Amino acid sequence: MTFNKVLIANRGEIAVRLVRAIREASMTSVAVYSDADRTALHVRLADEAAHIGPAASSSSYLNIERILDAARRHGAQAIHPGYGFLSENADFAEACTNAGFIFIGPSAEAIRKLGSKTSARVLAKAVNTPVVPGTEEPATHLGHARAIARELGYPVLLKAAAGGGGKGMRRVDGENDLESAIRDASSEAERSFHNGEVYIEKLVENPRHIEIQIFGDQHGNLVHLGERECSLQRRHQKVLEECPSPLVAAYPELRSAMGEAAVRVARAAGYYNAGTAEFLVDADRNFYFLEMNTRLQVEHPVSELVTGLDLVQLQLRVASGEKLPFSQQDVEWRGWALECRVYAEDPDRQFFPSPGRIAQLREPGGPGIRLDSGVYPGWTVPIDYDPLLAKLIAFSPNRETTIRRMLVALNEYAITGIETNLGFFKEILNDPEFRTANLDTGFLERFMHRRKSKPAPEPELEIVAAIAAEAYTSVRQTNGIAPAPGTAEVSRWAAQGRERLR
Amino acid sequence: MTVRQILVNGREIQLTADEIADAREVEPGVFSVLRNGRSFEVHVQPGPESFTVEAGDYRFQVEVRDPRNARRRHDSAIGGGRQKIAAPMPGKVVRVLVTEGQAVEPGQGLIVVEAMKMQNEMKASKAGKVIEIKTLDGATVSAGEVLVIIE
Repeated sequence: MTFNKVLIANRGEIAVRLVRAIREASMTSVAVYSDADRTALHVRLADEAAHIGPAASSSSYLNIERILDAARRHGAQAIHPGYGFLSENADFAEACTNAGFIFIGPSAEAIRKLGSKTSARVLAKAVNTPVVPGTEEPATHLGHARAIARELGYPVLLKAAAGGGGKGMRRVDGENDLESAIRDASSEAERSFHNGEVYIEKLVENPRHIEIQIFGDQHGNLVHLGERECSLQRRHQKVLEECPSPLVAAYPELRSAMGEAAVRVARAAGYYNAGTAEFLVDADRNFYFLEMNTRLQVEHPVSELVTGLDLVQLQLRVASGEKLPFSQQDVEWRGWALECRVYAEDPDRQFFPSPGRIAQLREPGGPGIRLDSGVYPGWTVPIDYDPLLAKLIAFSPNRETTIRRMLVALNEYAITGIETNLGFFKEILNDPEFRTANLDTGFLERFMHRRKSKPAPEPELEIVAAIAAEAYTSVRQTNGIAPAPGTAEVSRWAAQGRERLR
Repeated sequence: MTVRQILVNGREIQLTADEIADAREVEPGVFSVLRNGRSFEVHVQPGPESFTVEAGDYRFQVEVRDPRNARRRHDSAIGGGRQKIAAPMPGKVVRVLVTEGQAVEPGQGLIVVEAMKMQNEMKASKAGKVIEIKTLDGATVSAGEVLVIIE
């Protein structure tokens, strides 16, 4: 079944990415927007736009009925969910299909099979894809727990059955600590989730977080498109990703081993369209399947640059019933890509979000630089959503050159009016441990401790700052405008006119 | 040309007329400054008390004082031991933790502001008495808006 009008059930940079891809495919795009997003970039760039409700995402971007209604009103035949929001909601996928729309993603059935961590784990074990060793049923009494822990080998990790956010989690290094740790973990789980059941898993120490991009069509063809290194995380939020993984670059056999393991899980679930299998990899390069993300991933551009494939175009083609236009042996990986997630947040204040008006914006360019952005100068970043502003992606034949290109681009990139993590990325990219690719999921926490306070600026910069502020005041005064501070609104026309007269 | 007093992060900087002429406003609030053969791009944003100026990887608070109204500015600058607690970013006040007239200790939580689903507790930096609360529960506030005054 083909389609020529696609509704984008998302916002921000991914909605902009999708508008562009849909136009490239000679199709018509329909943006949706909440009250907070009437002037957002994705609405400005789309061919059509539909209002779907108030700012709160529960009444707009998460409201299945309103999104389907918008698709009907605009005559869209297909719906792309992007990432986040409804993208991994099996009920949404099903509702789209039942209402006669093509859902650009996997089937609702595959999303359900892979949606819960435990069912995905059972599925993975059935096809010999390794998972973190452990049990699927809770450790009920101490004797049982001792036997399990002894078999797994210490250190082990206690995890609350109903867990999340680290609650009810305990590391146990030896048998002597097991009893008290189970007591503590269980009572914490009881208090937090009203369920004191605790599982035992082998603790993977200082793991890397590496994921595999998979892709399938509706004719049973499934391939993997290699890995992405996502070890740089803060509170389980990815910050900087790269392809290839430096570990896989050093041990290339890992790519096909992990890739095939991911494809086996996908095949068992009857998966098609884009998906990502997440793995933990330990110091001995053993890998363990964690879960499947049943959607396009935020960090998909690094895979695109290295494989030369456009994953969104592929999504559109596969959703319309086409076969994958290549097979596994055609996939090649060339060069090195890095992605920085540019967030409206303040690295010097525990990364607190910083919404607000973007006063000025200068975007970088040049060889090997790609910017997937959802913002423009003068736009106010709403307080209601995720603080991701843009993704800055750099590419070159090798890691070192890509890092240099990224640093050049970060220096060019200027966002004022709100706080961003642009400066923080410069610090990371200049860090010797990052340069030697000594990465694991504890990297950023260690980095925060060794992070040096900024050296004092050279005196020249202070003088330059003074000159600019003086010039600002003097331009406004000569134009008969009351001198700022306090007068933020200055006519752009007047300021430029003054420049021409010089 | 009027001679103005310029303070960068509180420190006075003397400028000559020549140097000032090397600054061109290339976009609103964005200046290209050439000095001693070097090229700088400087972003200037006016704020309620001073300019926020970004140059290189650094941010400066710059006050440009005109001698004609310097006295008035000076008067208002003398605020004794007052602490003004301002919102660090736009958001919603979810809780006011103190009442007017209440004595507070350094580090004591005053008000909780939420944005992008994260809560930020704003604390007193030194001991004092709450003399004014300029907001209330549920209010939407903008960045830099003064919420609590402590003396």
